[in-house]
Amino acid sequence: MANGFKYGGYMGQLLRVNLINRTVSKEPLREDWARDFVGGAGLAARILYEELPPKIDPLGPENKLVMMTGPVNGTIIPAASRTAICAKSPYTKSFFHSIFGGFLGPELKFAGYDGLIVEGRASSPVYIWIDDDHVEVRDAAHLWGKDPFKAQEILRKEIGDEEIHIATIGLAGEEKAPYAMILCDIRAAGRGGMGAVMGSKNLKAIAVRGTGGVTVPNILRVYNTALKLNQLVATVPAVQGLSKYGTPRNVAAMNEGGILPTRNWQTEVFKGMKDITGEVMREKVVKGDRACFACSINCTKYSVVPKGKYKAVINGVDYETIYGFGSICEVDNIEALCKADELCDHYGLDLISTALCIAWAMECYEKGIFTKEDTDGIELKFGNVDGMLQMIEKIGKREGLGALLAKGTREAAQIVGKDSYRFTVENKGLEWPGHTCRPFPAAAVGYATGPRGGSHHDIRPTAEKSGLVDRRTLEGKGALAAEVNHWLILCDSMLLCHLGEPIWGPLRISDNTIEALNAVTGWELDYEGARKIAERQWNIIRCFSAREGFTREDDRLPVRFMEEPVPEGPMKGSCIPKETLERLKDDYYAYRGWDLKTGNPTKEKLIELGLDFAIKDVC
Amino acid sequence: MARVKVKSFSVIRDVLGASVVEIDVVHPETVGGLFEALVQKYGPAFKNRIWDPNTGEMVPFLMKLNEETIISSTSDLDKEIQDGDEIVIIFPIGGG
Repeated sequence: MANGFKYGGYMGQLLRVNLINRTVSKEPLREDWARDFVGGAGLAARILYEELPPKIDPLGPENKLVMMTGPVNGTIIPAASRTAICAKSPYTKSFFHSIFGGFLGPELKFAGYDGLIVEGRASSPVYIWIDDDHVEVRDAAHLWGKDPFKAQEILRKEIGDEEIHIATIGLAGEEKAPYAMILCDIRAAGRGGMGAVMGSKNLKAIAVRGTGGVTVPNILRVYNTALKLNQLVATVPAVQGLSKYGTPRNVAAMNEGGILPTRNWQTEVFKGMKDITGEVMREKVVKGDRACFACSINCTKYSVVPKGKYKAVINGVDYETIYGFGSICEVDNIEALCKADELCDHYGLDLISTALCIAWAMECYEKGIFTKEDTDGIELKFGNVDGMLQMIEKIGKREGLGALLAKGTREAAQIVGKDSYRFTVENKGLEWPGHTCRPFPAAAVGYATGPRGGSHHDIRPTAEKSGLVDRRTLEGKGALAAEVNHWLILCDSMLLCHLGEPIWGPLRISDNTIEALNAVTGWELDYEGARKIAERQWNIIRCFSAREGFTREDDRLPVRFMEEPVPEGPMKGSCIPKETLERLKDDYYAYRGWDLKTGNPTKEKLIELGLDFAIKDVC
Repeated sequence: MARVKVKSFSVIRDVLGASVVEIDVVHPETVGGLFEALVQKYGPAFKNRIWDPNTGEMVPFLMKLNEETIISSTSDLDKEIQDGDEIVIIFPIGGG
């Protein structure tokens, strides 16, 4: 295998860059950690648990930024091209993995590395240039202040290679806005403020060129596995539609089902839905389709608004844009949503958090908490398209009310007071994505206990949304949430795309997932073996949070979800009252073997999983 | 015989040719009978959107019956339908 590493799929080494003294070192990947934590989020969590002291400032030089690949990255396995960027989050204050698609992860492996660890803080703006074996820290003063796409353009030109892949931050990251994202070519590591961590290090960009390949133990087995998986991608009904319509394929269906979050989650039916569907997007703005490395799903849409005040060129919009700036802000103009998407990219902002912050401000305005004096004259009502776009700019520049909203809804509500926390929609500080849990108990407990909070990638409501599992009962929902956690975290360590959910899940780790991992690494894991790895990964992340001081009390839902039933539509009356949530948490902790009082893993569980080293921190 | 309106989206709409189609359900006059009628009329292109060709099984998804009632392909195929009913196919929903 590569570099004499014991297992297939791995490059066998990590790259470490210290920005204080601008040194670069290469170190062997620990074989035991690869076997126990695989890669991606799982391996990054293990590394950061080891290397970060508890309770450090996420924006201080002690924090480390880890870009991690997985063993399947860079092979011909489809829907396996994602990359994890991990750190202690300035937004959620615990371990965070932000995952993006595209080409960067495979390219890093082709350069010869399973991952990159960035530590310290440069004294002035820099970028990291990785060119196979040659790695250097270069001056980036000329890139500072540039938007991510412009910075990428300059770098490709000055390096003289159009094929390099680049992760960059925008103004929000440079200014350490806590929900700043990282733009990786055209894809975003959007959530959790990883862009702020990068900015705190004075690190503008990471550019990668690799010319090697990935070695596997049995190429015929990998070929046959890829063939089978591509066949599934082409035929499994629940995957269809992504190629043509992208992730917005289900906007109209969700609205019909009464689960399209609307008006800052005051309701889940949007009357203006018909103008912002995937079908409308395809007809009006989509000009082409793009795929990630070796992926046959082809879900990214290239869209253009050629003229007018919403003129924009974007890769999207995705469902989350339509949810966030569409139904949540009650905007029914697809061209304006393209503009909102473009502005978030321009400033380097996580669009979900940006949208939810603006929707919260709209509700504050309509309830009289904010006036035109607060909004610099903007009548910030739901449905005010141009007001919404102006607010994105204000957040990006941290001007006026934008400076408050750039802090996120949790902190903004604490500053504003007046019970405005009652209509913040976040957990652990992270604003909610566009997937409800009010009618879905397993999803509710999954969101509440998720390490990232408002993330639909720690839990998926799909089993309950599709009727595969009865959404009306509470029994067994703790177990379901835990097993969904497991297939998700295993995917996030292999860097498999969650859009392949029917193939990789959806109820538990699937045989397809295990076969992909076995084929590439040469392992012969059975279901129990794969599940144990995933359980270990989930527990090390929980230990990280526990060490930071998180407890059962932090496993919450927004007040709105507990106290305000859905007011209309087919899910009318749905909500998760606090006592129901607490019962679900008991069920979930008990299934996991966690302490019911603290929500922490028990000593016995940690020993069982080989995480003995964490006992002193959390038990 | 029950004449039923079927509303759909995305790739299912593409196969049916319009966002709303009407179809006669002869026997049985149930939700399951409706899908059999749709397969008869629209052939494998429709069937392959609803039945997983790899397993031969109908995939799980929700439907909305007459505006307010949510029913499921996993538990409600025997549910009777009436002339004039409308069913919305809320196909399996994942997220981006």
